[in-house]
Amino acid sequence: MKVTREKTESSQAFLTVEMEPVEVEEALKKARGRLSRKANIPGFRKGKAPRDILERHLGKDYILEDAINHLVPDAYEKAIKEQAIETIARPRIEVTQTEPVIFKAVVPLPPVVELGDYKTIKIKPEKVKITTQNVADVLENLRHQNATWESVDRAAAFKDLAVMDVESNLDGKPFLTRPGFQYRLDEDSAFPAPGFAAQLVGMKKDGEKEFTLKLPDDYPRSEMAGKEPSFKVKLIEIKEEKLPALNDDFARQVGPELANLAALRKEIETNLKLQAEKRVKVEFEEKALTAVVALSRVEFPPVLVEIEIDGMIEDQARRFQMQGGDLAAYLKSINKTAEQLHEEMHPAAEQKVARSLVLGKLSESENIVVTDLDIDTEVETILKSAGENKESMRKMLHTPPSRQSVRQYLLTRQTIDRLAAIATDSGRPARKKKKEEANNEPQPE
Amino acid sequence: MQLYNVLVRPLITEKNTILQALNKYAFEIAKEANKPQVKQAVEKTFKVKVTTVNVSTVPGKTKRVGRRMVQTRSWKKAIVTLKAGDKIEIFEGV
Repeated sequence: MKVTREKTESSQAFLTVEMEPVEVEEALKKARGRLSRKANIPGFRKGKAPRDILERHLGKDYILEDAINHLVPDAYEKAIKEQAIETIARPRIEVTQTEPVIFKAVVPLPPVVELGDYKTIKIKPEKVKITTQNVADVLENLRHQNATWESVDRAAAFKDLAVMDVESNLDGKPFLTRPGFQYRLDEDSAFPAPGFAAQLVGMKKDGEKEFTLKLPDDYPRSEMAGKEPSFKVKLIEIKEEKLPALNDDFARQVGPELANLAALRKEIETNLKLQAEKRVKVEFEEKALTAVVALSRVEFPPVLVEIEIDGMIEDQARRFQMQGGDLAAYLKSINKTAEQLHEEMHPAAEQKVARSLVLGKLSESENIVVTDLDIDTEVETILKSAGENKESMRKMLHTPPSRQSVRQYLLTRQTIDRLAAIATDSGRPARKKKKEEANNEPQPE
Repeated sequence: MQLYNVLVRPLITEKNTILQALNKYAFEIAKEANKPQVKQAVEKTFKVKVTTVNVSTVPGKTKRVGRRMVQTRSWKKAIVTLKAGDKIEIFEGV
């Protein structure tokens, strides 16, 4: 066996391995024995056919192929050892020649991460400010959510809720036909067709109307785009939105524990503030992390990205399955192939890999260690929201794999916290963060 | 009986492969063929010298086809011993 290491590029080693004829012969012999035990040759019991009969029956190429398939992985292992190469994933192997057997292997090497001078990163945290306008908006929303719909006897206007029987067809086929159809007259609504609401405005109860509308040219269902369905509407009822008055009663309706309107306002403000702070924090960490990655030199083999993409796709597929859907069907509906999806995920996956590598390195250089005690407290925090089957969950969370994932999570968390601390001021040791804040994962989707 | 009708096919089996070591080769032959005909046929087709011919009739077996019992055909087998050193190529490897 002759191994030549050609070059190293983007954390991949390119090897060419040439096998000696003796080794190939040995492998052929083994392959013959293996195949003979399986081959069903008439006139012979399994494993009893002589060599020439076996070769005639299966074909020499087939036997050679089998021999190579078994020979190459072993040879690869040996070559790796000989070259003292440390690998992190399966290589890509290509057999270029069979006489003598020569194969090329692209071996992914461990990634190289050189952190830049991350201590110099300084980012000004954004200030959080909640205005009375923000609170008022939320209050207005709440009023709409708690509004009652009352039947009125007048011509329909925008913002009313209309109950009607709709019949419509497009090229002789029913387009939207629903008795008792509830529709909110929204001026900008494009459903079922733009201008539908405007047609209803001014109609009286029990009124009937027929009209045609034009569907937009970029209608999602292309076979219907630009067509003109005709509608026949019979109005049954017009309802008007009655907003509750903004007073203490309303506050109690929203939250039984709230005493008056002022308390509600206060509650809204704190909530908004918490949300905004959370968002700002995530954004801040995001920025800091991006800055570190930009400062660092990261080199990793493309396999890592492939693995990441596979993970992401699997994740998506699982999410679809949970909703009772199917990723393949979804892809078909948006007219994409799995390859295109793969391609699209490439940049995001690359970023993710770079980030996790940088984070890993960072936690190393900052000496961040997660202790068993940390894990125990984290598990207890998770358990707080568990409810009745606490004990079985505790058991589950204390199994080695889930402890490992908690450890990983905490390590990431603490590293990011440390990074955030460094970026905020001159490297003060990380403050102990509140536990509930630890729940937001700053990695982008 | 034409000479070229005598030999039907070579019999390549585990047992016959062992016999090859003793310079013996097995054929399925026509039902009507006899020993001298087999000898002649083998000598002509494979350009070898035959010393002995043993023939035997292999009786048909009773097999089930659905609900019926069916008799498979019986056939004749010849085991030909060649003069030392002669070989028949179709039995050897490709």
